[in-house]
Amino acid sequence: MNTIIQNILVFAAIVGALAFLLRKFIWKKSKSKKACGGDDGCGCH
Amino acid sequence: MSKQINVALIGNPNTGKTSVFNALTGLNQKVGNYPGITVEKKEGICKLPRGVKAHIIDLPGTYSLNASSLDENVVIELLLNKNDKDFPDIAVVVTDVENLKRNLLLFTQIKDLEIPTLLVINMADRMRYKGISLDIDYLEAQLQTKIALISTRKKEGIDNLKHLIANYKEVSVTPCIKASDIDKEYFENLQKAFPNQLLYKLWLVITQDVNFGKTDRKEIDAVANFKTKSKADLKRLQQKETIKRYQFINNVLREGQTIDVSQAKDLRSKLDRILTHKVWGYAIFFVILLTIFQAIYDWSSVPMDFIDSTFAFLSEWTKNQLPQGAFTNLLAEGIIPGLGGIVIFIPQIAFLFLFISVLEESGYMSRVVFLMDRVMRRFGLSGKSVVPLISGTACAIPAIMATRNIESWKERLITILVTPFTTCSARLPVYLIIISLIIPEGRFLGLGYQALTLMLLYFLGFATAVLSAYILNKVLKIKSKTFFVVEMPNYKLPMFKNVALTVLEKTKSFVFGAGKIILAISIILWFLASYGPGDDFNNAESIIKTEYAAQQLSEDEISQHISSYKLEHSYIGITGHAIEPIIRPLGYDWKIGIAIVSSFAAREVFVGTLATIYSVGNDDEATIKNRMAAEVNPILGGPLFNFASGISLLLFYAFAMQCMSTLAVVKRETNSWKWPTLQLFIMSGFAYVVALIAYQFLK
Repeated sequence: MNTIIQNILVFAAIVGALAFLLRKFIWKKSKSKKACGGDDGCGCH
Repeated sequence: MSKQINVALIGNPNTGKTSVFNALTGLNQKVGNYPGITVEKKEGICKLPRGVKAHIIDLPGTYSLNASSLDENVVIELLLNKNDKDFPDIAVVVTDVENLKRNLLLFTQIKDLEIPTLLVINMADRMRYKGISLDIDYLEAQLQTKIALISTRKKEGIDNLKHLIANYKEVSVTPCIKASDIDKEYFENLQKAFPNQLLYKLWLVITQDVNFGKTDRKEIDAVANFKTKSKADLKRLQQKETIKRYQFINNVLREGQTIDVSQAKDLRSKLDRILTHKVWGYAIFFVILLTIFQAIYDWSSVPMDFIDSTFAFLSEWTKNQLPQGAFTNLLAEGIIPGLGGIVIFIPQIAFLFLFISVLEESGYMSRVVFLMDRVMRRFGLSGKSVVPLISGTACAIPAIMATRNIESWKERLITILVTPFTTCSARLPVYLIIISLIIPEGRFLGLGYQALTLMLLYFLGFATAVLSAYILNKVLKIKSKTFFVVEMPNYKLPMFKNVALTVLEKTKSFVFGAGKIILAISIILWFLASYGPGDDFNNAESIIKTEYAAQQLSEDEISQHISSYKLEHSYIGITGHAIEPIIRPLGYDWKIGIAIVSSFAAREVFVGTLATIYSVGNDDEATIKNRMAAEVNPILGGPLFNFASGISLLLFYAFAMQCMSTLAVVKRETNSWKWPTLQLFIMSGFAYVVALIAYQFLK
C-alpha cells in the first residue's frame, strides 16, 4: 500500500514538473503588454 | 488702464522655475487645475516697469516639446494655440546653470516656434562653487535672445528679469535651427502642403501624441494626416532633430561657457573631481570592486556553511524518518539537494545586491556611468550602454530591455548582443562552487585568492563584452549617431529602507525565479537517474555481486559499486555517455555534460543538477561541495574538478550563451531570429574553443 502511494506521488511530481517546464519554455501563455518582462524571475519589476 | 501681457514660465524639472514664479508674483498667485485634467495650473500677476502688468503662468516642468505625459501636453498645446487666451506674449525658459546643456534643448525648441523667448539662467550663485563662467554677450548673440542671470536663493537678478520681460518686443523671434535642415525633402513637401503655416509648428503637430483639446480640430487633423513617412521614419527624424539641436548647443557652449573643475569649491564638486578623475576615478572604482568581492566571500562563508550542512542533514533525516519508497528517495535525493544547490547562494547574492544598491543610492553609480562613457566610446558603444552592462550583473533580461533608451539602432543592437557576456547573478553559483574547489583559500596582501578569481571573472565578462562591441562596431555596417546625457544626482547617504527593499526583491526573484525551474528539473533528473531501460539497470545488484565475488568487499563498498553501476545505466547515464565524446576534450565527464545541458534552462541549474546526480544512491551526509570534491575522473584518475577542468568550466560559463530566456528576449527586442541564433552559435562556439584550449594547456 505504502509503495503504491509513494509511486503515485512520484508520478504526480514528475507530471507536474514536466508540465511546468513545457508551459514555461514551450507553450508560453500570452503576456500582458503592460508587463515588462514576464515571469522569468529577472527582477525587472 | 495699464497694459497686461501673458508670460509663460517654462523649464525642465528642478531648475527652480517655481522659485522664479514666486519671486515674480509674490503673494499675487492662485492655484487651480487645467480644464478637464488634473494638472495643476499656477498663475499670478507681476507688476513690471513702465506700468506693464504681467499675467504669469507657471507651466509644468518638461524636458522637451516631445510630450510624453499629460503635464507636457499642457505646455505644447498652449504654445501651439495662438487662439488660447493664455498664449504667451513672451516665453521665459528657466534653466539651471549646472545643467545648461540639457536645459537648452527645450529653449531651442520653443524659440523655433517663433515666440519671443527669454533665457533665465538660475542658481547663478553656484557658479563660483562650480568653477563655471559664462560669456553672456556671446550667448545672447548666438542664441539670439536676452539672458537674465539670476539667483532666486540670493534674490539676485529679479529686477533685471522684470525689465527684460517688460521689453519683450526687443527679444528676437529668429529660430535657432531651420526645420528644413532636419530633412530637406520632407520639410519642403510639408511647407508646400501648408504654405501659410510655421514649419516647426507643423512638424510638432505631426509628431506629437497630444490630445489637442482646445485647438481647432480641423486644422490639426489636416496637418496630422500629412504623413508621407512611416511612424518609424518620423521617429528617426525626431532623433535627427535632437542630434541637430545638441550639435547647435555644443557649438554655442564651447565658446560661451567655461567649466574649470579645478576652481570648483563645493563638496560635491570636490568629490566629483576625485571620483570621475581620469586616473583616480578608475583606481577608486577598482578598489571598491575589490572590497565588494572580498566582503562577499568573507561575510557569507558562515551562513553558507550553515545552509549547506542543514540541507545535507535534512536530506539524511528525510531518508531515515520517512517510510522507505520512491517518493522518499525523490525528496531526499532529488528535491532537497536540488533546492540546497540554490538556497546556499542566497547570502552571496544578497551581499552583492546590498553593495550595488548602496552604490546606486549614494549617487556613485552615475559617476561610474560617466567614467565608463569615456572607455565605451572607444569601443563603439554609448555611455548609455553602461547602464545595461551594469544591470547585466543582475540579469541579462532586464538589461537588454534597458537598451530601449539608446537612440542609435547600431549602438542598441551592439549592446543587446554583448550584454550577455557580463557576469549575471545566475553565473555566480557556478563560479563560486568551482572556485571553492580549485582555488586555494590563501591570501595575498589581505585579499583572498578566491575573491580575486571571482573579480577577475567579472572583469573578463566585462572586457569580453567591450571587445566584442569593438569588433561588432567594425563589422556591422549601420550608420547612426547618438548623444549621451546623464544627470548626476547629489551624493546622499543611502536610505536603509530602499537598500533593504532592493536586496529583498532581487534575492526573492533569484530564489523564486530560478527555484521553480530547479525544483522541476531536479524532479525529472532524479527520475532519469533512478530508473533505466534494459537488463543492465534492472539486474545491477546481481551483476555487481557476481563481478566482485572474488574480492573481499564490505557491504558499503558493494553498495557504492551498485549505485554507480545503476547511475551509469540509468536514462541519464545513457544520455550523458552519448554526449560525452563532445565534452571529453574539455576535461568533463558525462555528469558534467548533463549539468551543462540542463543549465541551458538557467545557468544556476548546473549546481543543482550535479547535487541531484551525486545524491542519487548516496546515503552519506556529505555536502554538495564535498561530493563534488570527491568525484574522480573515470579515465585519468585524480579529482574530476582539478585546476585544468575547473578553469575550463569557468571559461565555458563565462562565454557560453546558456540562457533560453535571454535568447527569447533578444528575439523580441530585435524582432528577428537572426540575432539570437547568431548570438547562440558564436558565444557557445567561442566558449567551447576557449574551454578546450584552457584544458589542453593546463592538464
